[in-house]
Amino acid sequence: MTHPTRSVDWPPARSQWLRYWSALPAEQAEALAANIAGQCTVKDLTLPQRGLGLLKLPDSALNDLYFLGEVPVSHAHVAVVTDDGRRSEGGARLLDDRQSLAWALAVLDATLAARLPHHEQALDLLRTGMAKVQETERERHALLAATRVDFSLLGDGSEDDNE
Amino acid sequence: MGYVAIKGGEKAIDGAADALEALRGGGQPSGPDPLSLDAIEHQLRLLTSRIMSEGGLYHPKLAALAIKQMQGDTLEAGFALRAYRSTRPRLLETPPQDTGQMRLIRRISSAFKDIPGGQMLGPTHDYALRLMRFELAEESPEPFRKMAAQFLQNAPTDTLPDSFPKVLDALRKEGLLPPKPAHRNPAFDITRDPLIFPVSRSAALATMARAETGSMLAIAYSNMRGYGDVHPTVAELRVGYLPVMLPHPVTGELTEAGEVLMTECEVIAMYEPDDTDTGKDAAPEFTLGYGACFGHNETKAISMAILDRALQKGMHDGPANASEDPEFVLMHIDGVDSMGFANHYKMPHYVTFQSDMDRLRATRSKHQERGQDQQEVSHESEL
Repeated sequence: MTHPTRSVDWPPARSQWLRYWSALPAEQAEALAANIAGQCTVKDLTLPQRGLGLLKLPDSALNDLYFLGEVPVSHAHVAVVTDDGRRSEGGARLLDDRQSLAWALAVLDATLAARLPHHEQALDLLRTGMAKVQETERERHALLAATRVDFSLLGDGSEDDNE
Repeated sequence: MGYVAIKGGEKAIDGAADALEALRGGGQPSGPDPLSLDAIEHQLRLLTSRIMSEGGLYHPKLAALAIKQMQGDTLEAGFALRAYRSTRPRLLETPPQDTGQMRLIRRISSAFKDIPGGQMLGPTHDYALRLMRFELAEESPEPFRKMAAQFLQNAPTDTLPDSFPKVLDALRKEGLLPPKPAHRNPAFDITRDPLIFPVSRSAALATMARAETGSMLAIAYSNMRGYGDVHPTVAELRVGYLPVMLPHPVTGELTEAGEVLMTECEVIAMYEPDDTDTGKDAAPEFTLGYGACFGHNETKAISMAILDRALQKGMHDGPANASEDPEFVLMHIDGVDSMGFANHYKMPHYVTFQSDMDRLRATRSKHQERGQDQQEVSHESEL
């Protein structure tokens, strides 16, 4: 089946990177980050953490703020320094309780932001992740498109036409 | 009510846990394979949704684990998820998220047949006959695994937007609803602060969002049947994935951190000129109720929206029935609270009950003595 694919800017904005990378199995990002950490110095600028966050929404009736509940959150903020002294900061806040994944994505974020060594592999992962996100979007759109309905008012004659 | 520490029974308690596990195993060495969390999460997705919303934590994997561990007991599974969340540190509070950005898989309105963007039934049992599908009893893996692919192959390839406008916004544009007010009060954290009445609407919404589905339905149903007068029409019911935006640790820019499946419902209730607080001369406008919860749980979202409207009325005019009374509703819809109270009656109350028996014996003894005294008095008066 072919689906219409919307054009997406390439490379995508930094605000989209986490979405795409986290669509992939965690091991892929973790393996690349470990590879980068083996060849560069990675410093934690804040202690990587995992815990929960309160999800705040405005209700759409009266616009009161309320908490729908809690979500798992992991957080990492790192600096990657190459052998020749280039330095880049990266960070990740994820709805995921795997601290190791947040740390890995923060390393990838720093690497790609400053085009440090291995940024091509980070870009490749981004491309694979984006394809995965687009596939998920297509599946969701299919749920909608296959069930689009036009409720005609009873008695307006339109239902009788097919009988 | 009183409790007493007891000793002994450790071996029996360990045995009870083992017995429970033995039954989970099917009772025989050739029993069924263990349930995978993936199977629970996807094949029992509505149950997983319910546990996430009642547990107050969006974590499909852990909700599936809780269902497995508690052998399908929804109340215990919600309890387990809550217990887990209480062990985790609180790292942040998200900025207000925009549910208008939800990536929808279902969207209907019972108020208008034509809504901006159109109606999409999505995955639902609503229009299906409730007849048993006996073929599922002997389902073979191969066709089961092909179902999703086949559906996608046959689905239309329409280009659709990621998000859709809200029906309420269209009504607001027409002036049939008051404009959306600015955020009024900070959100109330029911996990840290106790409910002290009168409570804010924020506290009420948060309490209902993690309430037990059946309890909410029962009280909302009382309103629908006549112990109340909300008379709701569903303006919009949406199910979809809400992108959660958090500030990037380096740039500070809002960045998508993940997404959360949720159900959201807005109901339109009868118009009341006074409810707008703009005075009796104001033009009549519809009133609204709002419901939302983690996961896909339409019954809960609709029940919540009806109760929200009923509670608004009760807070404004004073409660005229149970579903309009904030204390009655909010104190009786939590699954962990109510299940805990009901089940604590199974625990040893030996001292309390011994005391009850002592009091009964003393009362009966006094009653007997009083009877004898009265007999003597009447006997004397006869003489």
